[in-house]
Amino acid sequence: MTDIQTTASMRPATTQDVADILMDAASKGEPLVVRGNGTRAGLGNPVAALRVLELGGLDQIDFYDPDDLVIRAGVGATLDNIEQVLAQKGQYLPFEPPRYAGLYGTDGARCTLGGAVSTALSGPRRILTGAVRDFVLGVEGVNGQGDVFKAGGRTMKNVTGYDISKLVTGANGTLAALTTLTIKVLPAPRAEVTLVLPAATLEEDVALFARIRALPLGVGGLARRVSPTGACEVLVRVEGTVPGVAGNQQVLGGLLATRGSMEVLEQQASQALWAGVRELDCLNARPDDLVWRVNLPATTMPAFVAQARKAGCINRFFVDWAGGVVFSTMRGVQPEVDTLRYRKMAEQAGARATLLRAPDAVRAQFGAFPPVSAGVAALAARTRTAFDPAGILNPGRMTVQA
Amino acid sequence: MQMPEPSQAIISQRDALAQGLRQIVGKDWVISDDAQRRPYQCDGITAYMAMPLLVVLPGSAAEVQAVLRFCNDRGVKIVPRGSGTSLSGGALPLEDGVLLVTSRLCNVLAVDERNRVARVQPGVPNIKISEAVSHLGLCYMPDPSSQLISTIGGNVAENAGGVHCLKYGVTANHILGMQAVLMTGEMLELGGAYLGAAEGELDLMGVLTGSEGLLAVVTEIAVRLEPVPEVARVISMSFASVEEACACVGAIIGVGVIPAGLEFMDRKVLDAVSVLIKEKFDDRTAALLLCELDGTAVEVDALVGVVSDVARGQGAIELKVSTTEEERQRIWSSRKLAFSAIGKLCPDYYCTDGTIPRNKLPEVLNKMADMSKKYGLDYANCFHAGDGNLHPIIMYDASKPGDLEKAEEFGADVLIACVDAGGVLSGEHGIGVEKRDLMTHQFTEIDLQQQQMVKCAFDPKDLLNPGKMFPTLCRCAEFGRMHVHNGNLRFADIPRF
Ligand SMILES: Cc1cc2nc3c(=O)[nH]c(=O)nc-3n(C[C@H](O)[C@H](O)[C@H](O)COP(=O)(O)OP(=O)(O)OC[C@H]3O[C@@H](n4cnc5c(N)ncnc54)[C@H](O)[C@@H]3O)c2cc1C
Ligand SMILES: Cc1cc2nc3c(=O)[nH]c(=O)nc-3n(C[C@H](O)[C@H](O)[C@H](O)COP(=O)(O)OP(=O)(O)OC[C@H]3O[C@@H](n4cnc5c(N)ncnc54)[C@H](O)[C@@H]3O)c2cc1C
Repeated sequence: MTDIQTTASMRPATTQDVADILMDAASKGEPLVVRGNGTRAGLGNPVAALRVLELGGLDQIDFYDPDDLVIRAGVGATLDNIEQVLAQKGQYLPFEPPRYAGLYGTDGARCTLGGAVSTALSGPRRILTGAVRDFVLGVEGVNGQGDVFKAGGRTMKNVTGYDISKLVTGANGTLAALTTLTIKVLPAPRAEVTLVLPAATLEEDVALFARIRALPLGVGGLARRVSPTGACEVLVRVEGTVPGVAGNQQVLGGLLATRGSMEVLEQQASQALWAGVRELDCLNARPDDLVWRVNLPATTMPAFVAQARKAGCINRFFVDWAGGVVFSTMRGVQPEVDTLRYRKMAEQAGARATLLRAPDAVRAQFGAFPPVSAGVAALAARTRTAFDPAGILNPGRMTVQA
Repeated sequence: MQMPEPSQAIISQRDALAQGLRQIVGKDWVISDDAQRRPYQCDGITAYMAMPLLVVLPGSAAEVQAVLRFCNDRGVKIVPRGSGTSLSGGALPLEDGVLLVTSRLCNVLAVDERNRVARVQPGVPNIKISEAVSHLGLCYMPDPSSQLISTIGGNVAENAGGVHCLKYGVTANHILGMQAVLMTGEMLELGGAYLGAAEGELDLMGVLTGSEGLLAVVTEIAVRLEPVPEVARVISMSFASVEEACACVGAIIGVGVIPAGLEFMDRKVLDAVSVLIKEKFDDRTAALLLCELDGTAVEVDALVGVVSDVARGQGAIELKVSTTEEERQRIWSSRKLAFSAIGKLCPDYYCTDGTIPRNKLPEVLNKMADMSKKYGLDYANCFHAGDGNLHPIIMYDASKPGDLEKAEEFGADVLIACVDAGGVLSGEHGIGVEKRDLMTHQFTEIDLQQQQMVKCAFDPKDLLNPGKMFPTLCRCAEFGRMHVHNGNLRFADIPRF
């Protein structure tokens, strides 16, 4: 559904193979589509390249050291595999990586670690534990000249050279073909519950989120959605030790009492609910809908949503990250017009609007990612050149050529 | 310590440069006389000193821009400086360079309580941020021990950690946006004041954090604020052997507890401290762990139980748990006084900060004992055990010829042992000039070239803090042309300094 008519795919199994392929491509100046298993190929701009470098074959787990909270694996290791290995020791990937398989019509079981890091997609727990970028300790990759380089390390504290691990996180394969990743993991909370209560207005709900977040209660999820039965509801996920969660639930119960009836989802029901939130299930996006993510200060969100709904730019939506992100659908009737209008609205609200899903032509014309200032764009371009002087790695994936 | 050869041509223009800079920042804010420049000769590493060409204290971001543009146009180097507490020589001046000091940029510009963000200028001392928001029950989490003095700009440049970074993360995890000025004077806004504001383009803010003032001068920072934990309690755990204490670190984390802080002190440190706090430690104690747990009262009580059980299982001979805030402070005072206590035992000490996988602690600590014998220098250990961040304190006497060199070699051997154990040269102090020449032990030529290429994207003339972090100067023009594949040593003929 995306990258323009690719004809051949290469699926190397070792870093050296990747280096050989890239050295060859560099010598010919041949652009390549770089991907894991291609499950999120619909994210970012279409890349004009005839050949695909698919890294899903680099799927080994090099080591997992639970006492040191670190795992190193090939970029092709699936998130499912990593999460299973970690779960056996009661640990997890704290950034709760979404698969968006439903969104892109792909197989979520094939989503890779490399894809998670390259797209920097973080789940609902970001407000408590952080984003993908906060957990990438070290990388090995091959730059656009076919050079194998490493950066970072395996320790959680490290100021040894530039933090290239952060730079490649979210670079969508435009700096290097990553081959190995070293990731910080954490013990999964022993207990979790979710409190479900009726929504009020967006303003009131955002104010409620702020009140909850002002307390150190281990709240790792604050969302507002329309439930499958059509109820508009607020979701509060509390995590921690068993007694800790029970105590915090009580404190929250007091705070939320004025909201009326409250449903409590225990452990498994809570986990299932948030897996759905993470995957944007509650958007019920139809196949021809455009899907947007808008990041913004929570306090400006209600006015932004109201304006965008009035303008017809938001059809269905839900709110995550305590009000700091709005996921929404847009009817695919006049995507060109609406995309521009919505982006403009976001810009005026000081927000960043990312087109998570849209037809190739729309992303190619308007860019999946919101524009940045000329100075930032120029510095980013120089930085790309520092890794990939010939511009062969996913050219145009993140930036629209003028 | 070898630094790039100062340019006599630049030094000879000193008066003219001073005059030009005075027109930008005002006459009082360019320091050119010897007496007033002297305090700026070194940072936290007093062993390395150089007289800066000039010291400039801009009063606004616009003045920073103008100063950089002025120097860029004239090929004059810049060394940024916050409070000068760097322990790696990152703020070491250059004799032909302008020292740009941020101490006048010291305002908390805005506090957004509901979105939990503060916008601050780079010269704000770390502690001032938490002080400015404490009435809201909020704080800025990263708490380097130098937090009373070190600036947030310096913290960003060194990606500073702190006692609580085991649970709460380092500086990079708490920055949402920044304003930065390139050497050309071009100002950039990166990220913003909310989560995800920097996404959708390369994480330039991420690479600026921890870049030791080599890529840009940071002129404004948006930091995340967090609620102050309701309760904190500390457990002091004594062990009869260093090995048991180290094993306990892994066991606590292995059981699924992430303490707010987990610190290690060896017997030598305890003996030094006990003189100051007038408290004796059990004779059998070879090492002590301090484990802080925070959260809500119920949560903390539960965790104290779990950790105490683990410690007993690992052979702890004595456990003390704080029950009041006063007790907590008293238990921590031993750790807080550790470095000054050691300072009373010896004329000088030298402390590095290599970081290793936690399960390699016993191995590397044993190697240190051998090194101590080899160099004939005493040492003590007091460090952030929870993150495997070592701080060996090597004692020497600078007035004894050769002692400093021996201490430096001892320190270098420790760092090499850290890298060999799978760790890194620096956990929080940065490379600066101190660890610069060891970078080739951790990284290949290609790794380093890739990093220097990034430097070229930001500062192609290599005017911003040159001579730091890399064992060779950047040669941006050559990088573009030369390309040798697969580990062939490149630039073998470039002089190292
Ligand atoms: C056509 C339509 C589509 C909508 N689509 C979405 C969506 O995709 N995502 C989303 O979060 N909200 C949706 N809503 C709900 C509505 O947008 C929310 O009320 C809105 O988010 C808050 O707006 P407001 O602050 O103006 O409050 P109001 O719209 O004034 O709402 C205030 C009260 O009405 C209740 N309410 C409103 N709509 C619903 C509903 N659908 N189900 C149950 N109770 C409701 C709220 O719980 C609250 O008590 C939709 C509403 C309409 C009419
Ligand atoms: C007693 C003591 C305890 C310490 N404890 C800790 C600790 O617990 N954790 C820890 O991480 N560190 C610690 N340090 C080290 C030091 O305090 C930190 O590295 C701190 O971040 C330096 O801040 P500063 O303002 O003093 O910066 P400086 O020392 O002035 O400069 C440090 C580096 O930052 C650059 N720089 C400064 N400001 C800017 C700017 N605005 N833009 C770009 N670059 C800039 C300088 O060029 C230099 O390379 C300690 C130091 C001491 C002396």
